Amino acid sequence: MRNKQNEVRQVMVCCGTGCQASGSKQVLEAFITQLQSLEGVEAVASTKATGCNGWCEQGPLVKILPDDITYCLVKVKDVPVIIEKTILGHGIVERLLYRDPISKNRVQSHHQLDFYRKQKKVALRNIGEIDPASIADYMARDGYQAFKKAITMSAQEIVDEIINSGLRGRGGGGYPTGLKWKSCLQQEEKQRYIICNGDEGDPGAFMDRSIMEGDPHTVIEGMLICAMALGASKGYIYVRDEYDLAVKNLTRAIQDAREHSLLGDKIMGREFSFHIELVRGGGAFVCGEETALLASIEGNVGEPWDKYYFPSEKGLWGYPTVINNVETWANIPVIIGQGAQDFAQIGTENSKGTKVFSLVGKVINTGLVEVPMGTTLREIIFEIGGGIINGRKFKAVQTGGPSGGCIPAELLDLKLDFDSLHEAGSMMGSGGLIVMDERTCMVEVARYYLNFLAGESCGKCVPCREGIRHMLEILTRICEGRGRTGDLELLEELAETVQEASLCGLGKTAPNPVLSTIRYFRAEYLDHIENRFCPAGICRNLTRFSIDPEKCTGCGLCKKNCPANCISGERKEVHTIDPQGCIKCGSCIDTCKFNAVLVQQEVGL
Amino acid sequence: MIIIIDNQEVQVSYGDTILDAAQRAKIHIPTLCHHQAFAGQGRCRLCLVEVTEQGRKRIVASCTYPITREITVCTSTPRIEKMRKNLVMFLYKQAPASKLLQSMYRDYECQDNSLPENAGEKCMLCNLCVLACEEMGSSAISLIMRGTEKKVATPYNEASLDCLGCGACAAICPTQAIELTERDGYRTIWNKEFKLVNCQNCGQPYATQEQLAYIESRGPDNEMLHCCLSCRQKMTAQKIKIFT
Amino acid sequence: MADEVIHADNEIRNIIQAYPPEKRFILAVMQDVQKSCNYLPKEALLGIAEYVGVPFSRVYSLATFYKAFSLTPKGRYNIKVCDGTACHIKGSPVLIDQIQNSLGIGPGETTADEIFSLETVNCLGACAIAPVMMVNDKVHPKVSSSAILEIIKGYRKEADHEE
Repeated sequence: MRNKQNEVRQVMVCCGTGCQASGSKQVLEAFITQLQSLEGVEAVASTKATGCNGWCEQGPLVKILPDDITYCLVKVKDVPVIIEKTILGHGIVERLLYRDPISKNRVQSHHQLDFYRKQKKVALRNIGEIDPASIADYMARDGYQAFKKAITMSAQEIVDEIINSGLRGRGGGGYPTGLKWKSCLQQEEKQRYIICNGDEGDPGAFMDRSIMEGDPHTVIEGMLICAMALGASKGYIYVRDEYDLAVKNLTRAIQDAREHSLLGDKIMGREFSFHIELVRGGGAFVCGEETALLASIEGNVGEPWDKYYFPSEKGLWGYPTVINNVETWANIPVIIGQGAQDFAQIGTENSKGTKVFSLVGKVINTGLVEVPMGTTLREIIFEIGGGIINGRKFKAVQTGGPSGGCIPAELLDLKLDFDSLHEAGSMMGSGGLIVMDERTCMVEVARYYLNFLAGESCGKCVPCREGIRHMLEILTRICEGRGRTGDLELLEELAETVQEASLCGLGKTAPNPVLSTIRYFRAEYLDHIENRFCPAGICRNLTRFSIDPEKCTGCGLCKKNCPANCISGERKEVHTIDPQGCIKCGSCIDTCKFNAVLVQQEVGL
Repeated sequence: MIIIIDNQEVQVSYGDTILDAAQRAKIHIPTLCHHQAFAGQGRCRLCLVEVTEQGRKRIVASCTYPITREITVCTSTPRIEKMRKNLVMFLYKQAPASKLLQSMYRDYECQDNSLPENAGEKCMLCNLCVLACEEMGSSAISLIMRGTEKKVATPYNEASLDCLGCGACAAICPTQAIELTERDGYRTIWNKEFKLVNCQNCGQPYATQEQLAYIESRGPDNEMLHCCLSCRQKMTAQKIKIFT
Repeated sequence: MADEVIHADNEIRNIIQAYPPEKRFILAVMQDVQKSCNYLPKEALLGIAEYVGVPFSRVYSLATFYKAFSLTPKGRYNIKVCDGTACHIKGSPVLIDQIQNSLGIGPGETTADEIFSLETVNCLGACAIAPVMMVNDKVHPKVSSSAILEIIKGYRKEADHEE
């Protein structure tokens, strides 16, 4: 064993969006300045800003190598202690280690945590380990080796390798990636385009952001391999303009790749040129839809067109075009580098490889997790995610964003893959897993998605534009206590037309959140319609909060947290809520440790 | 190539749309956003039909679906009729002031339901006016906003610099949603007033100054440009008579 | 080239001419103008139409289709409350209401003194630290309804101080 004591310490500060929001940039700067003031710093420590480690909940995260120490929730004021104790003194700052909520033990390395142990990193393999602004870091982890291997392969061999890997598109529909490439390869037209769809729009999903920010070169390498196989000379990365850091890191990576002759004219001295241009999206969910994305790159309004020709046949400016999503591209270098066989061993029969999920909502460990296809919801939510916050009961998990559905507790043992999710009335989508507890109203969730889609439908075709508008109207009235008998049947009837008649995927899948919640939570809908009651206490017109005098201990926590100042009561005495002033935000019920806040039906309905 | 539409054999060329083929064979498929002058748009979805291709059935928009192999088309099934009925209901609720949609709402026997109507609205957002305006060379109007807020308008709803007042938009509109008024030698459309020019032959107002200036700028002067359509037709007929 | 863009002032003109006069760059130009001016002035849209050679109505259509653009000036502090699903179920609707009541403006509006604008956005991709709010470029993670008004007050103070 090497002597860790004398090795140069590497301080890796997570600078993903989550950690940055929690102040990691300042922590990084503090490390840099305070280490600089040390003598002979080069022999002691170096600092590195990494991409997102996925465990945003505990950010800012600071990892120290080679000791393999992970510090959580690090603040600027903790920096001197870390330098003194760990970097100079080779000790550990116990209080900054993660404390396992069950065993109460401190955990030294993130590798020991359930959150990481159960994961298998393929698409996210480099993130958190490298400085995304350093092409050398990427290369040190076999970066661009897959491309060099691809140079020795024929176009057909490359395409076959992708087909054999069983890789399916990670952006939504799950169409086999290799077949897209094959179809493009078969076109007579030789002018071809390669596109990376980074217009991640599913609310609740941020894996593409994380990959573009944390490992931009893997996207470039994936596209490069495809471009070489198909003889394409131009590629576009369409990225949401709101993703500042992703735009910055991708721009830098494209520049660096060019300087290393991995992009540009005559790549590595060969008769092959490939240029990548970054296109910043204008903020339209519908542009995640392939044909709308193409329209947007061409400089048009993002209205999709009927997909009776696939983009691989007639795409950008009418030329054959391969469009894959960010996570799909991130898998390509691994498949080519390590072989399709290795990749195909991971996952289920018809869904190979891993999938990145963004585990968010009412779960303890929120963040990005990558697991083999076929992992059950229970493993993800309870083992990796650590269960539901505040010890509440799991109610449902929403998958697939606005195109997906809500899966109830009965299906917690569902093995997640493209087909099982489809059968359960949902879909993989881009991989958002939004965990909901008993304080989530499923009718309101359905209303939320429809409202989202009403604002995001491009408005081109009638069933999507008008159908969504009317379905939203019905859901809104149910949430506001104006639901009518027959509303569920009317919703189902309209949903059918919207699904079948809509032009693009946005409309065709728009009814899913409504249909899946009606399917699994019909009783909750009926409670709203017939009893004018919202059991979750979310629909404000239907809800009144009160305090159970039997359970209230008079701790005062609810009073302290009430933003409307409408809870009164002396310490150690029963508190009461003034219904007149109550804004029904639910702060009291969410903070009460004794389950003393009750959800009741609003009076006078 | 021969395809089957409603049990009838129809001769088609590669790439024809189903709607084109059906119209040539005098088979009726309902449409609202289609006009023969323009390519299919796929907006109103009324023209949905069922296509059977190698044993697989799917619902497609006949105005945009290109025929590339032998298929069987069914223009009306119970499922499609149900969908059309809902689409007509949607369109009527969007533009309840349109006479056309009012009568379709009745013809399709749509039942009154609790869904709200856009009172007073006549526009169903078929986009034909925008296409016509583009065709006339001015592109003064466009679809603005998106989703449920989408509408046809000039930029900022102001009198457009580009509008020629030709009225092609109003003429093509299937629901008479575009207001065009003519009074005292002036035409008003899209918040803009145009002076009308009188026909040199019959003296009736027939076009706007902007329109004529535009046509003149496009090609060599035509003596007939200064006359209204009906006079032009009469003059042409006269010429043919002399010639024969 | 310069004379052609008669409508736009210098700064806007420079932004527009940083790109080749092709339709596909309109979105990029508009994004840069939006960043520089905080909104898309009418002169900029006219300037783009003229420079690229597309009808004004088409440029206007793009500007109103994409959410990234605003046709009216934003306040000094642009508050973006994320209403992505994760934020939504963790209470963003209540936050929006609270801001609305406190500032007297709804989403899409700007206060009369032009200090604050309020927007709701679909997902900032920071779902693990929900609910999230952005004020200009600063991300506020895990915003609670008991803390929100203090955050707003902080910005109000900063604005008063600057004046």
